[in-house]
Amino acid sequence: MSMQAALPIAMIPGNSIIHRINPLAKLVWVVGYVVLAFSTQNIIILYSMAAFALLLAPIAGVTRPLLKGALILVPVGSSLLALQIIAPAVERPWTIVDQLGPLSLYGDGVYYGFVLLGRIVASLLLALIMVMTTHPSDLFTSFAKLKVPYTLNFMLAMTLQLIPVFQREVGIIMSAQKSRGMKGSGFSAVLPSFVPVFVGAIERVQQLSISLESRGFGSNGIKTSYRQVKGRPSDWVIGIIGVLVVAYLSTISIMRGTWSLATEITFSPLFVLVTFLVAASLFACVVLAAVLFSFKK
Amino acid sequence: MAETIQGQGGLAIDVRQARYVYPSGNVVALGGVDLAVEHGEIIGIIGQNGSGKTTLTKLFNGLLKPTSGSVIINGIDTAKRTVQQMAPHVGYVFQNPNHQLFARTVQMELEFGPRNIGVPEDQIAERVAEAVEFFGLQEFVEEHPYRVSFPVRKLVGIASIVAMRPPIIIFDEPSTGQDHNTTHIINGLMRRLREQGTTVVCVSHDMPLLADVVERVIVMKSTEIIADASPREVFADKALMARTNLQAPQVTEIALETVVPLGGPVALTTEELAADIASRAGSKSKTSRSSATVR
Ligand SMILES: Nc1ncnc2c1ncn2[C@@H]1O[C@H](COP(=O)(O)OP(=O)(O)OP(=O)(O)O)[C@@H](O)[C@H]1O
Ligand SMILES: [Mg+2]
Repeated sequence: MSMQAALPIAMIPGNSIIHRINPLAKLVWVVGYVVLAFSTQNIIILYSMAAFALLLAPIAGVTRPLLKGALILVPVGSSLLALQIIAPAVERPWTIVDQLGPLSLYGDGVYYGFVLLGRIVASLLLALIMVMTTHPSDLFTSFAKLKVPYTLNFMLAMTLQLIPVFQREVGIIMSAQKSRGMKGSGFSAVLPSFVPVFVGAIERVQQLSISLESRGFGSNGIKTSYRQVKGRPSDWVIGIIGVLVVAYLSTISIMRGTWSLATEITFSPLFVLVTFLVAASLFACVVLAAVLFSFKK
Repeated sequence: MAETIQGQGGLAIDVRQARYVYPSGNVVALGGVDLAVEHGEIIGIIGQNGSGKTTLTKLFNGLLKPTSGSVIINGIDTAKRTVQQMAPHVGYVFQNPNHQLFARTVQMELEFGPRNIGVPEDQIAERVAEAVEFFGLQEFVEEHPYRVSFPVRKLVGIASIVAMRPPIIIFDEPSTGQDHNTTHIINGLMRRLREQGTTVVCVSHDMPLLADVVERVIVMKSTEIIADASPREVFADKALMARTNLQAPQVTEIALETVVPLGGPVALTTEELAADIASRAGSKSKTSRSSATVR
């Protein structure tokens, strides 16, 4: 039930090498991953990136939560692949590799489907690992070092902290309404809860700002942080390696016009058929589960 | 509805070996609790923070389903019903009224519950009018629930449940943070519910309130019920109070130190203690009284 909705993605405390890397160095890598993923269509690069991210998970000790968080990829990935096979996002002419009742399966979209999937998988995995191994305050302390204005930084930090609070609040409010016999489901059922949630949010923010002001928030001077973030030489090395690798690979990709291997790699009809069946049935399962779940509620 | 319920003959609340484990973090909040409450009983639940009081009461209206064991309310197994289906049988007054109120006016707020459980319109009007009268909300009916003061908001929250007239009502901390007037109204409400034969479960840290209105006190400590007796017995048990870090009402503590060793009652209210002291003073020799006047 939503009552105990904990954030699915939260920091997993630990002291691994990955945990100890400077948050900014990690951020450089995440941003680099996204940049590279969207500048290349080379699936070897894309899936190597994903594999590298997966390798980091056991080192950081976050394999299980990572896989749990990555479950979101199942509906996204399966629908993406299945769609690319029946309606490729590439120029015609398409070649039919198989006929499944009224559906024609085309081979042309498969490569592009795997590219899209690879981009999402690689970026998401690394981003999740970063979130799971970085204490939020460390990130904000690092931002402060980058001369991000303190007020802005503080706003970001507070917003992030309030998300789980609101999640819990929504859960409680929904159960209060249900206790009074509120019927209906979907949006109309959620609507009455918005009032208490927003009123609660505004009251909370008002109180917070008063309490902050009364404690001298906004006065001048250098702000120090309770948590110290170190920028060791190794962090610099990691960050610089990230920048160099990304810069190198994305430059080549762009020079080669996204470096697509679509013409080099061809998929056998059987592979296309199996991919389609697996993707389509996975997606069907997710949809079915979602429908059943909403009925049960 | 109450007819079919009483027809079941049995208990208002029948909890057997109920365990509850919060899925997030695997917190065991209840470890095999047994509890039987008759129709019309007024019970209080006390215990330290985190002892499982709220969790137990949330089992009563199906907000939480037991991880194992059973919870039968008015003969209905909560595991087989939704919270909405339980709503006509069990009213739940949340601790924080802000979590409960959302309508545009107090009037509409009070109408919401009865309408949801299918009370006919003319009866809704009557119930709401009665609740407004009882809780003294006349001047607020057209106000937005968030524009009235916190104690009044709390009363609106309680009234919105009372207007549904469920045979069982659960209060989670009805009197904490309330002014004297509100506490007084809550006190009166408990008495009226008792007269009406409503079963009341009241989770509270407010010992004087409980001493005053409940007939039976359940003491919880780390996921279990460790005592179940009359307020007099519970509050007189110094070891129990110490073990659970609870404090009996001051009147009771004073009585225990003074009149009880002399054969007096374990007083629960000031009136009771005062009456006993007065009778002792009256039966004493005149000298003691005159010496008091001299001083
Ligand atoms: N949503 C939740 N998720 C996980 N654990 C919870 C949740 N709600 C309560 N708990 C835990 O369950 C235990 C019992 O909590 P409960 O709220 O029932 O105690 P309580 O007796 O009502 O306390 P209080 O006097 O503070 O209201 C506590 O250890 C608490 O931390
Ligand atoms: Mg509680």
